[in-house]
Amino acid sequence: MQTAESGAGQPPLLEARGLSKRYGATQALDSLDLAIEAGEVYCLLGPNGAGKTTTINLFLGFVSPSGGQALVSGMDVSTHDRETKHRLAYIPEQVMLYRNLSGLENLEYFASLGGKGSMGRERLTDILVQAGLERDAADRRVSEYSKGMRQKVGIAIAMAKEAEALLLDEPTSGLDPKASNEFSALIERLRNRGVAVLMATHDLFRAKETGTRVGIMRYGSLVTELGTDEIGHADLERVYLEHMHD
Amino acid sequence: MAAHTVFRTVLRNEWRLLMADRPLRIALGLFALLLAYALANGVVWMRFQERTAEVARAGNVERAVAIEEELTAIENGAEPASPFSDPRRPNVLGGARGRHTAVLDPGPLTALAVGQSDLLPYYYDVNIYTNESSFHQNGEVESPLNLMVGRFDLAFLVVYLLPLLVLALSFNVLSEEHEQGTLALTLSQPVSARGVVAARLAFRALLVVGMVLAGALAGTMLAGGFGAPGRIVLWCVAVVTYTLFWFVLAAWVNSLRRSSAWNATVLVGAWLVLVVVLPAAINIAAGLLHPLPSRVEMITVQREASNEAVNRRSELLARYLEDHPEMAEGVVADEPGLGALAWAATDAVNRRLEEVTGEHDARRAEQIALVRRYRFLSPALLAQEVLTDAAGTGDARFAAFQTQVRDFAEHWRQFFVPAILADEQMSASILPNTPRFRLADETSADVTRRAGVPLALLGGLLVFVSAGAAIGLGRVRGAD
Repeated sequence: MQTAESGAGQPPLLEARGLSKRYGATQALDSLDLAIEAGEVYCLLGPNGAGKTTTINLFLGFVSPSGGQALVSGMDVSTHDRETKHRLAYIPEQVMLYRNLSGLENLEYFASLGGKGSMGRERLTDILVQAGLERDAADRRVSEYSKGMRQKVGIAIAMAKEAEALLLDEPTSGLDPKASNEFSALIERLRNRGVAVLMATHDLFRAKETGTRVGIMRYGSLVTELGTDEIGHADLERVYLEHMHD
Repeated sequence: MAAHTVFRTVLRNEWRLLMADRPLRIALGLFALLLAYALANGVVWMRFQERTAEVARAGNVERAVAIEEELTAIENGAEPASPFSDPRRPNVLGGARGRHTAVLDPGPLTALAVGQSDLLPYYYDVNIYTNESSFHQNGEVESPLNLMVGRFDLAFLVVYLLPLLVLALSFNVLSEEHEQGTLALTLSQPVSARGVVAARLAFRALLVVGMVLAGALAGTMLAGGFGAPGRIVLWCVAVVTYTLFWFVLAAWVNSLRRSSAWNATVLVGAWLVLVVVLPAAINIAAGLLHPLPSRVEMITVQREASNEAVNRRSELLARYLEDHPEMAEGVVADEPGLGALAWAATDAVNRRLEEVTGEHDARRAEQIALVRRYRFLSPALLAQEVLTDAAGTGDARFAAFQTQVRDFAEHWRQFFVPAILADEQMSASILPNTPRFRLADETSADVTRRAGVPLALLGGLLVFVSAGAAIGLGRVRGAD
């Protein structure tokens, strides 16, 4: 993990410059400008279809932009696919793993694909424990895991990869409050290590608790941006609803 | 991340997934059992053929010894055992009693691909009465396709059943990742879908091809060793190419990003069309466009010619001597012996038969040519052709054997017929000079040259589906 924040002159870890995506007649994302520095947790709020997942997919290179650029550490995702993916980790809404393998085996596989080679069983188990998984669960088949446990394996994969930036797509959706809190604590720990986090979520409370900034999206555009230390929970909800009713 | 590291990582993961997947292990176990059964079937057939060939050769020696003993005894004053089987008569010594059996030994890899060796004759009893009907009495003469499909041997397993196992192992190689949700997590790593799918398929291909090749090599060892390395290499290359064709086809279908159920339907449909329907359609077209004369007609012609020949024996003998002056030395045409008259009748029947069988052979050649022309449509036909040819059980080797037996039969006639026409008596001193059949078998180079064409066509099909899969997988980015 990166342990220091990006210094002056360093490009933001995640940056969108006029980033657009059109699917036929639908403008899924419209000229998004965004910069997320090391140690920042940026939460994208908005209704379904606002462009949150499209933004994440563009940073991952899963789709090509119709206009603009998605940059990771200053490198264009479209032209530096491998290099940018080395620096990124991704946790989808549902972390789906190989059900017939254990959490440890899944972690070993994805960490190895992520370029970390063989890390050794003890080291990988430690990472799973750091991610909040109980030690004795590491060797159990993933088919026996709850969603929260799978999310923790997802976090462990990101930690093992020592990613500089983390892309989260509604990661706490469907988690019980305790699991959500644990998840937020993990994100906080990663943030403190200098990881830049972009999180798409519907959860205003979690965004306020975990995020350093929130951006509210609607119809593919970023309609407002707020620092979470500037407002309270009630204010965030009010601003959000105001934009949704415009 | 280096490609070989991705490859190694995926291979290790695939091994773990296989070990954790009981139905897949059962399917592979069943395939291994079928493989063992197919090999046993092939080895048993090859051993049977070897024993038959030994018996035929022993028969040649036993007959020669018996005739020599009787001729020596007659020369020392004994009476022949029967006036009808008196070995001094050239039509007896050159006929059924003194016949020589021409034998084609089993192909070097018959245990792997029985091919046509259980359909076409691999030995002929040659005597002066051997004619075209002798070459049409045995074997399948109706369907060129049937000639390509044999019993349940390793080649049958490879051509017909192995694609189904391949499809079972690969129909969801990418769609499953998508459906179970692991694809996004995988493609968020610095790897390409193409690389991951290639590595996954490589593991499965190694598993399947490894099983088949290990079985093939075991079968080769059991059936007599590695005396024909060129043929073994050709056989293995054909298996690998054919297996890869099906794996890569599955990858191509997966690259279209449809559901696993859709992939399975399309791939089983492809198997049905390429392995069953197209070969059958080509066969039907061959039968319709170039129908074979009826076998009944052939028999009828033989009988009619035989009756007519008996009635016109004297006339036929005169004509025969006119046509074959080299056979006529010492023959008095206006006072022919019974043997000469009989031979004249036999020759007339043979000529009439040649007309009928010639037409039959021409039509069959047209059928085979049509099948060859359109075989590129079906990888199964191409693979079958290479596998049987490499094994030495393809139609080319049998055709070459038959041609050599025809030549030998002619040589045999030329040795005995002048004596029949001249009504000469044979003695024991002539026995060492009687013709002996020596097969000039095809070389590995001949086989490679011949099988190179279908193998190249099969390789072309592999390149075609590989290009489709590479382009399709290159478009897979991780999101719908």
